[in-house]
Amino acid sequence: MAEIILFYFLAAVTVLTAVGVVMNENPLMSALYLVLSMLGIAGLFFLLQAPFIGAVQIMVYAGAVMVLFVLVMMLIDINKDEEKFSGGNISALFKGLTVGVFAGLLTSIILRTPMSTKILVAQQATEVVDIARLLFTKYVLAFELLGIMLLVIPVGIVALTRIRGGTHER
Amino acid sequence: MGSDVFEITVNVVKMLLIFLLMVQLVPILVWVERRGSAFIQNRFGPNRVGPLGLTQLLADAVKFLFKEEFVPPSSHALLYYAAPVLALVPGAIAFGGIPLSMPIEIQPFDMFGSHWGPYTFKFQSYDLNIGILFILAISSLGAYALLLAGWGSNNKYSLFGALRASAQMVSYELAMGLSLVGLLMLYQTLNFSQMIELQKGPLHFYFFGRELVVPFLPNWGIFYQPLGFLLFATAAFAETNRLPFDLPEAEGELVAGYHTEYGGLKMLMFYIGEYGHMMVASAVMTTFYFGGYELPFHLSDSLTTAVRGAFTSYNMGNVMAAMALFLVFLLKVLFFLWVFIWVRWTLPRFRYDQLMDLGWKTMLPWALANVLITAFLILVGGGGVL
Repeated sequence: MAEIILFYFLAAVTVLTAVGVVMNENPLMSALYLVLSMLGIAGLFFLLQAPFIGAVQIMVYAGAVMVLFVLVMMLIDINKDEEKFSGGNISALFKGLTVGVFAGLLTSIILRTPMSTKILVAQQATEVVDIARLLFTKYVLAFELLGIMLLVIPVGIVALTRIRGGTHER
Repeated sequence: MGSDVFEITVNVVKMLLIFLLMVQLVPILVWVERRGSAFIQNRFGPNRVGPLGLTQLLADAVKFLFKEEFVPPSSHALLYYAAPVLALVPGAIAFGGIPLSMPIEIQPFDMFGSHWGPYTFKFQSYDLNIGILFILAISSLGAYALLLAGWGSNNKYSLFGALRASAQMVSYELAMGLSLVGLLMLYQTLNFSQMIELQKGPLHFYFFGRELVVPFLPNWGIFYQPLGFLLFATAAFAETNRLPFDLPEAEGELVAGYHTEYGGLKMLMFYIGEYGHMMVASAVMTTFYFGGYELPFHLSDSLTTAVRGAFTSYNMGNVMAAMALFLVFLLKVLFFLWVFIWVRWTLPRFRYDQLMDLGWKTMLPWALANVLITAFLILVGGGGVL
């Protein structure tokens, strides 16, 4: 019973704050709503007996990524950007289209996943040691590829900041 | 939470008490900070109100409570009010996850005309198997308090303080996490209670298949990872925004940094948050590197048997034995809190570029090297360390 109440509470928090992310006109506030949404998802992970993933969710997304988001947003003159944020009919059409396509993709993926087998895989990886073993044996290629992808990002950023031209031409 | 009324009640009361312990330590620490700074700087400090100035705390609390409620008119009201609360919450949650003493076993007993079965109460608010990871995750949320305070109060100095604070916290989180990895590899667990269990007895470990015993040293983490401890302690200072890393509130340049616009109870909550983070850092240091609530060698076993012997009731003896170990833990934590205060009034502040240099170019490589060397030694010298 308590689990069901907790689930609906966390699900409501996650969804409502996610709506807040989209509906808010102040980008800083939407970023903060996103943090709450991440925390809701982390709570759901805890409820699913996956504390490791929940903790990593908090640490990586809420604790590091979003802090940087908020940090950058504080440096921007938000009042100027708010005007560009709210759009007309055409942009609303595109917004609706994107939401529809994304929702369709998501539901099709959820419906196509064979849950009964995937749950068995997930149940093998509750303890940290098991997750590490899976990551470094069965899923080592995907793991390393993700690492390379993350490496590409800083290299790209460094390359971009070093580009000559524009106002920063040396 | 528990299976029956008694267990649930005890657990709820326990959580409340642990939270109150954290909050109630703050005024004492403020007093220690003021008297200690005075001692270090050859002054008197607050010594007028009550014996040794101890009731100054009460006067301060009353002052904080009755100050005028003031919100800067151009501030973002929601964020302005949310920030102090957010400063308090992560520290309070994180502190609950650290075992403050050994679990208390209670044998079946009769009370209020009914029978109550055997219980085991853990001396912590919650026990997660991933202990340290969760605490690091929750503490990392503390950056939001400073960010929101800086942005919400709509003040240049506050914003600069917030920017510095969050950049600093994000940078040092990395070194902090990495400095713990070496020890985690040795312990092979993330759970605090298991770590404390491993640190019992004299220093003994396996190296190339031979068991080495150093009888005059306790089996504490610091003797395995001295560099890791140094890095962790430094990062902890930066994470709690204490001097020498208190650039977010550098009063010479930023008035008071992110809490320039705060006063009264809201200011006090920032204080509680800062001291809460200090307590969490000290408790983690104690648990990781200094044997947690255990006394060195097997002294804690003799202590608990002595305390148990003093009570006729088995349950009462168990409770009191846990209390004795809790005192041991508290003493260790208080020592580290004193180190925090001691350092604050001894070292001058870093410059901002020096701070970033230390974090990214010095501590991060050293922490990485520490991890690599530890991993190599475990691999070559055999995994049977501890």
